[in-house]
Amino acid sequence: MMDDFEKQLQGAFQRKEPSPFFEARVLGAVKRQARERRASVRMRWATAVAAVLIAVVGSAWQHQRSERAREDSAGKEAKARLELALRITSVKLQKISQKVEGI
Amino acid sequence: MKFAIPALLVVLPLAAQDVKMPANLDRLEAKASEVVNVQLDGALIQLASRFLSDKDPDEANVKRLVGGLKGIYVKSFEFEEKGQYSPSDVEELRAQLRSPAWARIVGASSKKKGENSEIYLKTEGGQITGLAIIVTDPKELTIINIVGSIRPEDIRDLGGHMGIPKIDIGNGKPDNKDKKDKEDDK
Amino acid sequence: MQQSEDAAEPRTFASVLRAQQSMVFSVAYHFLRDRASAEEVAQDVFLQLHKRFDEFESDAHISFWLRKVASNRSIDYVRKRKSQGAVGLEDAPVPSVDVQPADHFLNRRLQVLIGSLPEKPRMVMILRYQEDMMPEEIASALDMPVRTVKSHLQRSLAMLREKIDRSMGDVR
Repeated sequence: MMDDFEKQLQGAFQRKEPSPFFEARVLGAVKRQARERRASVRMRWATAVAAVLIAVVGSAWQHQRSERAREDSAGKEAKARLELALRITSVKLQKISQKVEGI
Repeated sequence: MKFAIPALLVVLPLAAQDVKMPANLDRLEAKASEVVNVQLDGALIQLASRFLSDKDPDEANVKRLVGGLKGIYVKSFEFEEKGQYSPSDVEELRAQLRSPAWARIVGASSKKKGENSEIYLKTEGGQITGLAIIVTDPKELTIINIVGSIRPEDIRDLGGHMGIPKIDIGNGKPDNKDKKDKEDDK
Repeated sequence: MQQSEDAAEPRTFASVLRAQQSMVFSVAYHFLRDRASAEEVAQDVFLQLHKRFDEFESDAHISFWLRKVASNRSIDYVRKRKSQGAVGLEDAPVPSVDVQPADHFLNRRLQVLIGSLPEKPRMVMILRYQEDMMPEEIASALDMPVRTVKSHLQRSLAMLREKIDRSMGDVR
């Protein structure tokens, strides 16, 4: 049970409202944050895809030189695609495990 | 967590892709903000394997895992807005996975979040011959088909190796999370 | 094996923001005693909430998390400003726009006195008397032992009573 002084304290600490535009400012900031996060995720995927593209471009240059050089590039490209596929699959399986184990 | 699988693991020779990706998925590419499309048949997998080092333990492990595979196919779409694809887009695929050769070994869904994750294994004569994964949430659709003998946990456990993120099972985020997030905010 | 959750009425970030903005803002405001700073802290808290919104299973969980993060962010804000050499907000005058119609002079005096408390006891008092939280809940939110919370409450109340009595006569 609170005494009168404590009730006075409650009165001194009644909740206040923020400014009328606070809600709109927060929602705007949230949208910006979501955009930035998606851009960051896209950057990670783009980096992985760029590695494949770099291998493809390298393959085009080496293709003119020799069959062995061409095969080397194709192999690296295939390796990059394989790693990308395994990366996506591993992340998905980890998240499914997380969902199942969290229940 | 262990995925329930048959005891024997034997590689069988197979055709390239044992789950046909529905043609209607192609039209989703125009709506998606991010598309990943990886198609590796047996020949490409063997070629990639030759470029995995036997001396690097991680690459040697991957080489062993993929050695018997006949195909790896990944289609992943990310959308800016919800409702850019419908459950019927995936229904043709699910119909294929209802055949007797396939068994759904994991299904986890959240109606509240609109998320659904499924893992299917194909077995023939008691041996694993294929793996299919379908993951849907309101802004993402991912379909993975691996042809050949593979255990899901072997790929899952690649997390933390070869640049593959290891998801912290406790909070579902990669371990290299933003340092600004404070532990005491949880 | 299949697990699923039945959908309750969908809780949206916007609805939580509308319902809880007053609470979050007030915790920061009563601590910092500056509207602009309090809105800055409150906005930061809601941005953090949005990042993790899907992790919350209940309104009670959200409310507790918001109180906890608002408290900690407010304390961090003051410490950061101090380390940057800014004037301590506890020395700032109470804004005149937020007086109460009744006992407004006493309320202003109380707010000034509470503002003079060190950070942790100050936040303990705000969570107790603004949010009506029990000492155990406050201990969990501020990550301190329950006995420390009770000690802060006891000492702060004693100090406030004594100073109010001296400056204004018996108001109990």
